[in-house]
Amino acid sequence: VPAERFSSRFRVLAARFEGRGAALAVASVALLGLLELGLHLYFSRAAPSLEQWSALKPVVARLAPSGTLVVASPRWAEPNARFAFGAELMPLGQVARADESGFEHALEVSILGEAASELRGWHLESEQREGAFVLRSWTNPQVSPVTYEFVDHLSPADATVSVLRAKGPAEPCPYGNGKVTNGDLGGHPTFPRKRFICSGAEWQMVGATVIEDQEYRPRRCIWAHPSNRGTLNVRFESVPIGARISGYGALPYLFERETHGTPIEVEVLVAGASVGRYQHLDGEGWKRFEFSTAAFAGQSQPVEFQVRSRVVRDRQFCFQASVR
Amino acid sequence: VSGTAPSRSATPRWACAIDPLIALGLFVGYLAALLLTAKGLGYARDEGFYFHAAGTYGKWFDLLLSNPSRALQAATVDRYWQENHEHPALMKSLFWLSQRLFDGKVFEPGTALRLPAMALSALAVSVTFVFGRRCIGRGAGVVAALSFALMPQIFYHSHLAAFDMPIAALWLFVVYAYHRSSKPGALGWAVLCAVLYGLALDTKHNSWLLPPALVVHALWLAGWRLYQRRRAARAPNAAQPAPLAARENALVRFSRWFPLAFISMPLLAPPLLYALWPWLWRDTLRRLIEYVQFHRLHVYYNMEYLGRTYFEPPFPRSYSWVMTLATVPAITLVLALCGGLYTCVTVWRSARTTHLDRDALDDPRSAHHWASLWLACIVASYFVWLFDDTPIFGGTKHWMSAYPFIALFAGQGFAWLTASLARSPGGERGVLRRAVPWAFGFCTLIGPFAMTWNSHPWGLTAYTPLVGGAPGAATLGLNRSFWGYTTGAVTGFLNERVGRGERVYLHDTTADSFHMLQRDGRLRGDIRPWPVVAGSKFALYHHEQHMSRVEYMVWVDYGTTAPAHVATFDGVPMIWVYERPTAARPPSVQAPP
Repeated sequence: VPAERFSSRFRVLAARFEGRGAALAVASVALLGLLELGLHLYFSRAAPSLEQWSALKPVVARLAPSGTLVVASPRWAEPNARFAFGAELMPLGQVARADESGFEHALEVSILGEAASELRGWHLESEQREGAFVLRSWTNPQVSPVTYEFVDHLSPADATVSVLRAKGPAEPCPYGNGKVTNGDLGGHPTFPRKRFICSGAEWQMVGATVIEDQEYRPRRCIWAHPSNRGTLNVRFESVPIGARISGYGALPYLFERETHGTPIEVEVLVAGASVGRYQHLDGEGWKRFEFSTAAFAGQSQPVEFQVRSRVVRDRQFCFQASVR
Repeated sequence: VSGTAPSRSATPRWACAIDPLIALGLFVGYLAALLLTAKGLGYARDEGFYFHAAGTYGKWFDLLLSNPSRALQAATVDRYWQENHEHPALMKSLFWLSQRLFDGKVFEPGTALRLPAMALSALAVSVTFVFGRRCIGRGAGVVAALSFALMPQIFYHSHLAAFDMPIAALWLFVVYAYHRSSKPGALGWAVLCAVLYGLALDTKHNSWLLPPALVVHALWLAGWRLYQRRRAARAPNAAQPAPLAARENALVRFSRWFPLAFISMPLLAPPLLYALWPWLWRDTLRRLIEYVQFHRLHVYYNMEYLGRTYFEPPFPRSYSWVMTLATVPAITLVLALCGGLYTCVTVWRSARTTHLDRDALDDPRSAHHWASLWLACIVASYFVWLFDDTPIFGGTKHWMSAYPFIALFAGQGFAWLTASLARSPGGERGVLRRAVPWAFGFCTLIGPFAMTWNSHPWGLTAYTPLVGGAPGAATLGLNRSFWGYTTGAVTGFLNERVGRGERVYLHDTTADSFHMLQRDGRLRGDIRPWPVVAGSKFALYHHEQHMSRVEYMVWVDYGTTAPAHVATFDGVPMIWVYERPTAARPPSVQAPP
């Protein structure tokens, strides 16, 4: 089709759109262009600015007394919330929580009509609009109060760490100040200053850190990399035993997502008696365990977490546990 | 606005100057826009590597000028050119040349390094117009060029001292030269096409996808020619086709069936690649194989898509087209669809004619010729992302070579719709005929313009209203950014807040990119980049889903979850900065690796 002939065919085809058809087509496309412009202007201004977030802090502080879980929805807005509200309203223990079951109250700060999926099933107590924000106060109908959070007691006052060898005496892991290290994107999580230091490589320590789960969400937990010399034993003295011990275990997802590693086993003992075993396979992510301790309920007993793996290479295991 | 190609004999002299002026205006205008906005844009991760490589290659060029015999020794060549040899040398050599010519004299250092890629991007806008002008008319060409220029991600990538826009530009140049060489006997264009393809080969490996597109196009043309001839011969009142011109020589006759570019490209392009890439001067075959294998077996990086981070196959086959829908203005895509459909119908109708027109068969300006060429380029650009083992970590930049052709179809859609309206009753009236294309053009370009304007300097986060803009994309779990370039958006905070000589953990920004901000004077020179969180006083965090673990490292190390500064785009947090609380004693320092 030569250019000249193309032009004539162009006219033939265009003729079919003459009159209303052509006008309608042009008007529709033009309107689409303007509609897209309008929607762009709307969406680019829809989310509140940082100044608006900051201005909300007094309201949030009033609605979220100590112990109230503060949640931002959608989840991507959380950094704005942490910037505006500060660590006092969104502390590490809440932001990197194991789950929501232990919280009785939550305050949801919602924008753009979003709702927090983790609060599904909770009872809505109140809802108020503050400019671009909707603040919802929630109550957990099935709250499972935590009476003892192990990671909060990871200090010599309450805990000891040792490596139990098959032959020979246990190797104690003294508590002390270590060098704070972190491994950048492909490396290990932050090894905290205060920690139990076992002999050997740097990763042979027990301390509180934060890892990412299978959704790359933060989880605060006890670093308990299995030892190549025996079973890692994390022992808590005088734990007020309740109905059960529940928790989660995982490796930083960057390491377990390729599902190459050797399984890790955790055995939980109360007063020297095993109450349950947990096995973690790579790829399972932040996986829950729960063991009944009803036989010891009401007593104050030592609780041990014994961590082992047949091959310990890159077994960056981390667990969270609490008494309920 | 017309679908008619320009006819010089019927065109007044003044009108002949319009098209070159428009082309020049588009080039200068786009280059100026890039230069004026460059200062607000941080340096991407890969730019840092290329800056360094350009500096190393530059030392070799200096040696070549001062001591050629030593520079050309095999060991010397290898020593300098082994750096970043997984990518060809052309652009890095140009980066160095531009730095040598302009650094400190005309532009800040980083902008001087970026200039060659910016110029090629601006030239691509200009050539899109020229291509469109030739095939679909002036107004359509302008709309095509602007539709291409006003794709937000194109505007972002056009700034970078990288290879993605250069290869998209060179792809377009090669196709345009090939198009011109398709006219029987156009030997000069065939040679130019080969030279340009040699430069494309020396730019990026995407160039390997172009020859299959051209071969498919040539086969289509051959099939079309045979079909038309046979159909004309079978017609009841078939007339003898017009005789070939008496003076037509063998070259012209041959080139009717076999594009001359297919001879010139294999003859000239590989030698040009070899000549311009000294790394290949020794152990050529092994190094070429290594180069091919590096990209064929490329390591998989992480990329978030619809809330999930993909780091290994299978990758979602929907990725390329969903991301295109999410990042290219819808009005451009709708116009392209209109243009594509209209062209299909036109070609289909012409296929039913029994009149054999030799000129039509061989004229590259014929719709069956250019439309199939554009379509072949689009398909070739997207084709590999239909496989589920093709890496997706670079987002839209992988298939940007398709975008000029999508824009050209958009120009065609614009031309068709305005022509339709002009032909409608009352449409011949002067005011309507003149005003409608302008008004319609305004309506189709104002949205892309606003989106592009708003997107700077957050180009990789520029999502269209189809997915709810940047906030909607964040909710859907589409990648927010990569390459750590957003450090450029927090230089003001760092200059103001960081103490003298204090350390800043750079996260995804490379040290070379950070130093370039300092050389530009955009960041204080005493601020010390630091490779790990431990031991730093400030920590940057560039959000990517899989990188969130780095933020958690900061929380534990700094003892806070509250950033000291957040830079947002349309309310979406992009990069945030942590400051180690002064109350907490900094931990013992970990030596950088």
